[in-house]
Amino acid sequence: MALYNFTKSNELFQRATKVVPSGISGNKNPAFAVPGSFPYYAERGEGCRYWDVDGNEYIDYLAGYGPIVLGYNDPVVDAAAEAQRKLGAAFNHPTPRAVELAEKLVTMIPLIDWCAFGKNGSDVTAYAVQTAREHTQRRKILKVKGEYHGSQSWSRSGLGGLIDSDFEHVHDFPWNDASAAEDLFRKHDGDVAGIIIAPYHHPAFANQDMPKPGFLADLRRICDKYEAVLILDDVRAGFRLDLRGSHEYFDFKPDLTCYCKAMANGYAISACCGTNLFKPAASRVFFTGTYYTSAVEQAASIACLDELAKTDAVGHMMKMGTMLQKGMKERAEANGLEVTISGPPTLPFMTFANETNFRRSQRFSGEAARRGVLLHPHHNWFIMRAHQPKDIKKTLEVADECFAIVKKEFGG
Amino acid sequence: MLTPLLTRAGLHTPPTVRDRVRAGMHLHAVLGALPHLVRLDEEAAGIARQMGKVNLEFRVFDGPKVILAFEDGRIGLRRDGPSCVGLFFPSCSALNQMFDGGKVTPIPFKNFVGHLKALQLLPKLTDRLTHYLKPPAGALDDLAYRAKHIELSLLVGLAATQDLVEYDPKVLRVARELHDATMEYEVPGGPVAHVRIAHGRIEAGAGHLQDPSTTITIKDLDVALGLLLGTVDTFAANGSGDIRASGNLHIADEFNNLFDRVGLYLK
Repeated sequence: MALYNFTKSNELFQRATKVVPSGISGNKNPAFAVPGSFPYYAERGEGCRYWDVDGNEYIDYLAGYGPIVLGYNDPVVDAAAEAQRKLGAAFNHPTPRAVELAEKLVTMIPLIDWCAFGKNGSDVTAYAVQTAREHTQRRKILKVKGEYHGSQSWSRSGLGGLIDSDFEHVHDFPWNDASAAEDLFRKHDGDVAGIIIAPYHHPAFANQDMPKPGFLADLRRICDKYEAVLILDDVRAGFRLDLRGSHEYFDFKPDLTCYCKAMANGYAISACCGTNLFKPAASRVFFTGTYYTSAVEQAASIACLDELAKTDAVGHMMKMGTMLQKGMKERAEANGLEVTISGPPTLPFMTFANETNFRRSQRFSGEAARRGVLLHPHHNWFIMRAHQPKDIKKTLEVADECFAIVKKEFGG
Repeated sequence: MLTPLLTRAGLHTPPTVRDRVRAGMHLHAVLGALPHLVRLDEEAAGIARQMGKVNLEFRVFDGPKVILAFEDGRIGLRRDGPSCVGLFFPSCSALNQMFDGGKVTPIPFKNFVGHLKALQLLPKLTDRLTHYLKPPAGALDDLAYRAKHIELSLLVGLAATQDLVEYDPKVLRVARELHDATMEYEVPGGPVAHVRIAHGRIEAGAGHLQDPSTTITIKDLDVALGLLLGTVDTFAANGSGDIRASGNLHIADEFNNLFDRVGLYLK
């Protein structure tokens, strides 16, 4: 087959660099993938596939960095969104969809009693942190080192635009080390408002790490002991592990939970949810944004969550993800390569064993993209309901070719 | 030991962060380019040869120090160790004024009479360095000059990150989290420079590395120049192919936090 080229992507990017800082901002900038071997601009999508502006077709395992949980252009979700759009997208007030969606989430997620809506994960993780501070009247927030909780100052790495005081009251502890977290409670005696944590450790540029037995329960115990708030950042994994929330999958009880990516199959919405104990504090935090009450996304979310439940999407995605993980490992071994597959089946990631500089991953992903399969070299992958065995089979055929290229270039 | 006492007595004002960082960069990174200068420029190598064998110390009160070890036209650089002659600067700001082109006369110490020739030749050597780091009008049109300018400037910029790590409180948070790594910068057919990051310390050097953690390939000297001047958007350049980064890009991102900041202190 002829390998893809990215002429139009490159042309668009050149135009963009004149009018957009960095051409494309943030993690979607080409620099974070494989520049020259990855598309930069998308044109349209259908099911688990999308087409870039050069007309190249991909079986997609990045899913818009997570939000496409059913598949691109899901007809049920799009119909619900379109019906609401005809009524109106944004008003002076919320629409009934806001109440309906909140009721749906409260019913779906046994732990929670209320929810508030934003647009992106950062909106709701920041709101959860503020709610914890308001509830406890304390300042300190503990987080796992290297974990991402959004692009707001308090949780972002780097230097650009940040000042020391952004981090003054945010402290890190290592993943799977509850005693280090408790040490921070002792060190900042009486001033820790809470812990924010992902259900499992999913940093970029590293293997994913599942919680050790008892780790999440230990954090719960520590928060109870020090009367602090346990916040679950389920933005990335939420509704891909368990429709009742990832805390049910891992069997622990957070106080506040944050959702976003898989809520509405690509429509921009996020939610912070909590138990009644934290509702007064949540009410006292002024939480708003121009589009936080937009109804189209809420209608889409209701339809998406219904579809996920009705079709046992999580069960299906688990099967597809397991098939992908197993197949990747087998194909790598058949080519004389050793890979590490990490993370849950619905959010898998692969690295080449005994390699820290990702050169094999970059070569593998670049070659796969040029053959129509999008697998990110540095960031976990996402399974969608639309992935079917034939897509996984095609993916593994492409992977086989790419493993052979890696083997030839790098050896074992 | 004396400095805190003088400070408490109101007889000394500690340097500002900016002055301290700049002084360190001037001694460690700018003078640190001298060993590379004598490799790249025959005239400079000739001057260094005439200076003979001498360990020349630059010392700044309540500031950095460095020892330049001259021998057979080669120059070594150390942060500590024995010296036979020295130049003393009463403050970081005085040293910085000199590097900015101001009239500052350092105070010679140790056996300066025995090394008068070396001290007299030193300005000629630093003039050669200035010639390459601050291009005279039209000089950049000469391809060979431009390559040397870029290599030396890149080495200065990379080496300057160490003083940021040590003395710029703004970067301490990032510096604490630096991973041990090696990074290589290459202009194909042109300069190659690298940094080694280990235990929070950064060392810059010239030439290739064996299997670097990250490789930054810069398309040509024009892009490299833009990168040094801060006129090239590195993310945009990555996407357009003007810069190709491969390997552990997370480390490149971490290090660029520092490298981008050097321009705030050194022009």
